[in-house]
Amino acid sequence: MRWQPYNRGGRLAVAVMAVSSLCGAVAYAEIDGITGSTFNLTAKTGYISGADGLSLHVWGYANGGGSIQYPGPTLILEEGVPVTINLTNEMPEAVSIVFPGQESVTASGGDAGVLTREAPPDGMTVVTYTFTPTRPGTYHYHSGTHADVQIEMGLVGAIIVRPTGYDALDPSTWRAYEHADSAYDHEYLFLFTEMDYEIHWKLEYGLTSQVDTTTFHPVYWFINGRNAPDTMLPAGTPWLPTQPYNCLPRMHPGERMLLRIIGAGRDMHPFHPHGNNLTVIAKDGRLLESAPGLGADLAYSDFTLASVPGQTVDAIFEWTGEKLGWDIYGHAPGDPLEPNEYAPDHGKPFPVVLPGQLEITFGSAYSGSPFLGALGDIPPGEGGLNANAGYFYMWHSHNEVEMVNNDIFPGGLMTMLIIEPHGVPIP
Amino acid sequence: MNITKIRKEWWFCVSVLAALTVTAGSTSAATVTVNLRAEATTKTMPDGITTVPMWGFAVDADPVTVPGPPITVTAGDTLTVNLTNNLSVPVSLVIPGQITTMSPVWFTDGQGRQRVMSFTHEAASGGGMAVYTWTNVKPGTYLYQSGTHPAVQIQMGLYGSLIVESTTPGQAYDDASSAYDEQLVLLYSEIDPALHEAIDNGSYGTTGATSTIDYNPKYFLINGEPYSAATGPLPAGVAGDRVLIRFLNAGLKTHAPTLLGPYMKVIAEDGRLYPYAREQCSLMLLAGKTRDVIMTPSAAGAYPVLDRALDLTNAGAASAGGMLRILQVNPAVP
Repeated sequence: MRWQPYNRGGRLAVAVMAVSSLCGAVAYAEIDGITGSTFNLTAKTGYISGADGLSLHVWGYANGGGSIQYPGPTLILEEGVPVTINLTNEMPEAVSIVFPGQESVTASGGDAGVLTREAPPDGMTVVTYTFTPTRPGTYHYHSGTHADVQIEMGLVGAIIVRPTGYDALDPSTWRAYEHADSAYDHEYLFLFTEMDYEIHWKLEYGLTSQVDTTTFHPVYWFINGRNAPDTMLPAGTPWLPTQPYNCLPRMHPGERMLLRIIGAGRDMHPFHPHGNNLTVIAKDGRLLESAPGLGADLAYSDFTLASVPGQTVDAIFEWTGEKLGWDIYGHAPGDPLEPNEYAPDHGKPFPVVLPGQLEITFGSAYSGSPFLGALGDIPPGEGGLNANAGYFYMWHSHNEVEMVNNDIFPGGLMTMLIIEPHGVPIP
Repeated sequence: MNITKIRKEWWFCVSVLAALTVTAGSTSAATVTVNLRAEATTKTMPDGITTVPMWGFAVDADPVTVPGPPITVTAGDTLTVNLTNNLSVPVSLVIPGQITTMSPVWFTDGQGRQRVMSFTHEAASGGGMAVYTWTNVKPGTYLYQSGTHPAVQIQMGLYGSLIVESTTPGQAYDDASSAYDEQLVLLYSEIDPALHEAIDNGSYGTTGATSTIDYNPKYFLINGEPYSAATGPLPAGVAGDRVLIRFLNAGLKTHAPTLLGPYMKVIAEDGRLYPYAREQCSLMLLAGKTRDVIMTPSAAGAYPVLDRALDLTNAGAASAGGMLRILQVNPAVP
């Protein structure tokens, strides 16, 4: 089935957001990362925090002389602009980087390895990788040395290649690929990994010879390097210094959200968005097109997306509340329409008689009202996490064992989508 | 006409096939007879010390191998396999994706229930023989494997590749999008040595494990061998070639071959051509799955294909191992 192309409603939403953002603090939404044409990465050891209080020894890529990051710094590149990545190694064993999806990588310096050239663990030798990202899209990088251990230990990161003509300040250029089928109002990164803490403990205590990845048994699952509920904390929060990236997707009704999904671990993760289906438009940095220039004409709709290790997927998510059968704004029939409102449900009453306050349990994200953007009475001490009265939808691994932090629910590979009322600024 | 088309090496096959295509290819369907025998063998692991009991197939009087000898026929052919079973248990032969009449064999379990033991008729243990026939075979990439107690027998090594060439020379399927200059086969499988030992010494199902539920493979093979420092690169044509790679997974786990360098056009799955090829550098390869891709390297080079599910170790060793190969693409001949 062909999916519906970018519509006028979407463009209107862009305009609305652009206007509203003039009054807001931040003018545009971009995935966090580092830009440029030369990157100096250092592989070193460090610690990350689990959402259950865990402190875990990891190996990671650091930006220059900074602390490690998990995942490594997201490299945001420009189509056609050559990049140089210099790697030095302060870890206990040789390390390298490979760039799946980049077709002409050259490596120099260091020692010859099986997959690419490697930096020996001397803290000095520089291995230099160069390539020109010839095609826009979503990619990743990871260690090409002792990969079963080093990827597990944290040596992975995302790459985003912006198409020629992309301008962060001009929403009309916000596309993942050189086609309007990939246009978006908001973009978010979803980099999935998992960890088996026994491997980390053994390496922390130097029990290298006891590490056997064939007994791999993960008990922690991550989005962008954090377990739920830390996924929803702000990016760069100071108490997660080595896990700077969050994953809190937010959008207004009728907007188009681009999800850049990376299977960066070694297991498959069936990713399930509540609220609506995803439309998968690209894999491995290639639009799903039947012939060049036709756009994502082979795109498909999915409510459980197969995230495959080593594979990247781009998907578009849209939500208007269409066909719920009631008016999400609580309009009276004569009220004007909201932007992108699903008109056939306009003015239709909410079909549930709300129980009294003494008959219900309150979630921390309940606004006190079923209507988008409406606040209602809630008892003292309840609610409080939804000051904009948005709608929260859980997005998570459909392999529900992955929604725990070492056996404690909820956690793991999970976050929340927030549908924000019109006018709420989304950074 | 009885022709036995067997090859041990992919490049040998290409020339054999080319020769056969002239005589028997597109003009008329042939009957191809293969004399297989199932037998126990052992495999030595890359450490040079560890040996693992295996079950495998062999053709005629050749030594037993795992995977079994590759079988290549042409679309429309009739494939007849005469299977001699030198194992101590009954064995049968199935080819998922190719149609034939199946005659399941039942047994009565300890609670009096009738249960399937074999998907089709068996070759009895201790030298029994059975004949399996597939008529009008369809083009594509397939696994042949044991149809008896498959949870045990397939992981013991009773599998191999069946390639059915299309009737058009130089094409994998009846469509120009599947045209190729070179082809190679990458057959993925695993070994759990403890399970093999138990099945070999008779403790499986008696004093030892009673099922394969705790399957815990330690070795991860491509074309029957885990990667080691001694593994040489695989020749994969010259720059500019269309290189057909046939991926098969005879293991019980999902693997994710990733190619570093050129992209792959994924053209087919389970012996069925996609309406549109998809360009990817990674590939989800489920257990029992076959997928065909075409790689067109623009430049000569050594391009690794690694299992991104990270089965890249030999029993936990720190050196590169497991499901890894380097595809060697040579410069184009001027």
